[in-house]
Amino acid sequence: MKSHSPWSTARNPVKFRIPTADNLVPIRLDIEIEGQKFRDAFIWNPSDPDSEVVVFAKRTVKDLKLPPAFVTQIAQSIQTQLTEFRSYEGQDMYTGEKVVPIKLDLRVNSTLIKDHFLWDLNNFESNPEEFAKTFCKDMGIEDPEVGPAIAIAIREQLYEIAVQNVTSARESRINKKGRRGLEHSQTSKNSGNAADLFKLFGSKSSVVRKRKEWDVYEPMIDLLSNEEVDALKAKEERNAR
Amino acid sequence: MERITRELELYTIPSYSSWFSWINIHEVERFSLREFFDGSSITRTPRIYKEYRDFIITKYREDPSRKLSFTEVRKSLVGDISVLHKVFTFLVKWGLINFNVSGSDDGGNSGEGGSGTTSFEGKEEGEGEWKGRVKVEEGAPHGVRVVAAPNSMKPLVPPPPPPSVGGDGGGVVGEVGESGFKWPPLASYSDVYGELMLQEETNKGGVVCGNCKENCDSKQYEYTKEESFILCEKCFESGNYEKEKSADDFKLKDTLNQAVDWTEAETLLLLESILKQHGDDWDLVSKNVQTKSKLECISKLMQLPFGDLMLGAGLRNGGLLDIIGDGKQAAVPSNESLESAKAEEPSSEVQNKDQQNGDAKCEGPPRKRVCTGPTSDAGNYMMKQVTRISTMLDPHITASAADAAVTSLCYENQCSRELFDDNDGNYFDSIASPEASNPERDADGDADNAVGDKSPNPSEIVGISSVKNIIPLNLKTRAATATSLGVAAANAKMLADKEEKEIGNLVAIMIETQLKKLQDKVKHFEDLELIMESENAQLEEAEQSLIMERLDVLQRAFDAGIPRSKVA
Repeated sequence: MKSHSPWSTARNPVKFRIPTADNLVPIRLDIEIEGQKFRDAFIWNPSDPDSEVVVFAKRTVKDLKLPPAFVTQIAQSIQTQLTEFRSYEGQDMYTGEKVVPIKLDLRVNSTLIKDHFLWDLNNFESNPEEFAKTFCKDMGIEDPEVGPAIAIAIREQLYEIAVQNVTSARESRINKKGRRGLEHSQTSKNSGNAADLFKLFGSKSSVVRKRKEWDVYEPMIDLLSNEEVDALKAKEERNAR
Repeated sequence: MERITRELELYTIPSYSSWFSWINIHEVERFSLREFFDGSSITRTPRIYKEYRDFIITKYREDPSRKLSFTEVRKSLVGDISVLHKVFTFLVKWGLINFNVSGSDDGGNSGEGGSGTTSFEGKEEGEGEWKGRVKVEEGAPHGVRVVAAPNSMKPLVPPPPPPSVGGDGGGVVGEVGESGFKWPPLASYSDVYGELMLQEETNKGGVVCGNCKENCDSKQYEYTKEESFILCEKCFESGNYEKEKSADDFKLKDTLNQAVDWTEAETLLLLESILKQHGDDWDLVSKNVQTKSKLECISKLMQLPFGDLMLGAGLRNGGLLDIIGDGKQAAVPSNESLESAKAEEPSSEVQNKDQQNGDAKCEGPPRKRVCTGPTSDAGNYMMKQVTRISTMLDPHITASAADAAVTSLCYENQCSRELFDDNDGNYFDSIASPEASNPERDADGDADNAVGDKSPNPSEIVGISSVKNIIPLNLKTRAATATSLGVAAANAKMLADKEEKEIGNLVAIMIETQLKKLQDKVKHFEDLELIMESENAQLEEAEQSLIMERLDVLQRAFDAGIPRSKVA
């Protein structure tokens, strides 16, 4: 078992990418112009030409009948996020043996979702959309917006973790250790998980969880009434400010 | 008690999963889930796989009547969720869990990436807690893809082309037709599919030039490097294309389909000329059919249902073709216009009848060959079938069948047989093909023998045709159908008789053989008997001699004075 040490089997660094079957980037938009708010989240294919960004922005504005000032803002926001993604792209990332916990805690319209599960970072064929689909199906969620929201949330977390694994980011993080205390704790948590692999998957333990832990890893769905939704919305906005 | 009930519980798994065993891991599992068996990660080992598998199946069997959902098990298992899902789907696929459980997956899951457009209902249990027991409504509407407005879908995963493409062809999103929603086409949709929609529209109207957007007439120039780019003749010649493309890159593409308007007269000409020249000399054929080129003749012939036969069979066996061709001609219906066509075929038929009678025997095998081709194309034209069936036999038989059919029809409809008879009579006089008198409609008009050089009495024919016009239309049709059916029946009877004879023959042969066998056996036994008898005789002799010897010995012994007791 010792020979199976995660470090010795750590692969050669892979080029940075989102560790899913399709290398798609989650994009989040949160724009406010003259009191009109536009929030959106979706997945973008980074290999699309950048001209598509403007086209998409224009189309969105047209379809949603937003004031045209949004076009540039949307395009800019998307472009910035894409550029950030691309800045990581050429670099190497070390994935090692990483099974990371993914936590879902989101509200989509009137559905509140809390979930917790493990995700293998090395599984480059993982598919968050498929997971979201199964999730909605199993839990009987009717709102069609929930699925994509889940997929996007997963992707964002994966994205973040992948970024953390990139060499240069790692170095800069070490430099900024003072400022980014939060992220530092996260890295240790992640590498902590890797060490946990021994415990979890070693020959002495069972992969079947203890019953008391089942609740932790079970998804929890709440359907909120309208008032609760409004209350939550108000709270979120207050937090954002 | 509990043990007993557990023993009695049977779990159903499909027969193709009979390889499954709790103790082992089977090849199927190793193959389908090889990531567990290739040592690629300490999170995936055979032991771990077995634990997952056993847990899931046990969990399912706790209550086999309910459908186990993935979410129920994944909370209890440690591991990458995608891998767990893979194991789960593997087990479902092989029926080891959720086999034949109600609430199986609906087809309405549109399956686009993550859009979650599953429109089914969930039943809550207890206090509104989702236990993952889902009752899926079977009738989930297929076409409903709710394009939820502001918040995202994945814009880059294109929805499958809506069914309207190729159907309506309007600039309307496919769902309109199906679900009744009136969503205007999103700008994104028309962007992506605009070209496709445009193409669909134009594909109906013919090909559109890539440049001037007009319909290309006959010739088009296809750009070899990019398939979809087509220029019409004018544009090409005027050099009116984009600069990157040079004249050499264009390939002349002649659209044959446009020029194929074969009138019945032409088709008739074509067939005739083929028959005359046996399809060998296409130049002559095309000359005969003046307006069509060689290629067009050939392609038209291919399109005709029996075309292949004529091409192939004709080349193989000229005589055969004669029969089929002529037989066809004889039975071939004249078309609606009832012209000299009618006189045409019967006359040719008269000429060839002698041949036909002589060659009737050959019809056996060739008929079979004829059978295979056409029957597949029963689709559209019943009349085509009628034609074919009628051609399968002697015209004599067809004639009598037609006669009988007409008679019964007339009896049915109480119309005067004479109506038909008139024409019949005339025809029988001059020409001997009664079914010509039944204006069978040939839907594809492919046996229009409109060539004038064979019609004997145009005027007479005209007179007859006018009389014939009186006969109501559907009567004709029915007569035609009846004829063909009669013909088919006659054909069938003939075949049946033949079969019977064959059977009789074969049975006789069989019996003979059996008899012979028996005879041989009997003979064999007789021989044996003889041998036995001779052996028997020999044995008796031997016995006799032995007795004699014994007597001899005894005698000598007595003579020598040895007491009796010692000798015996």
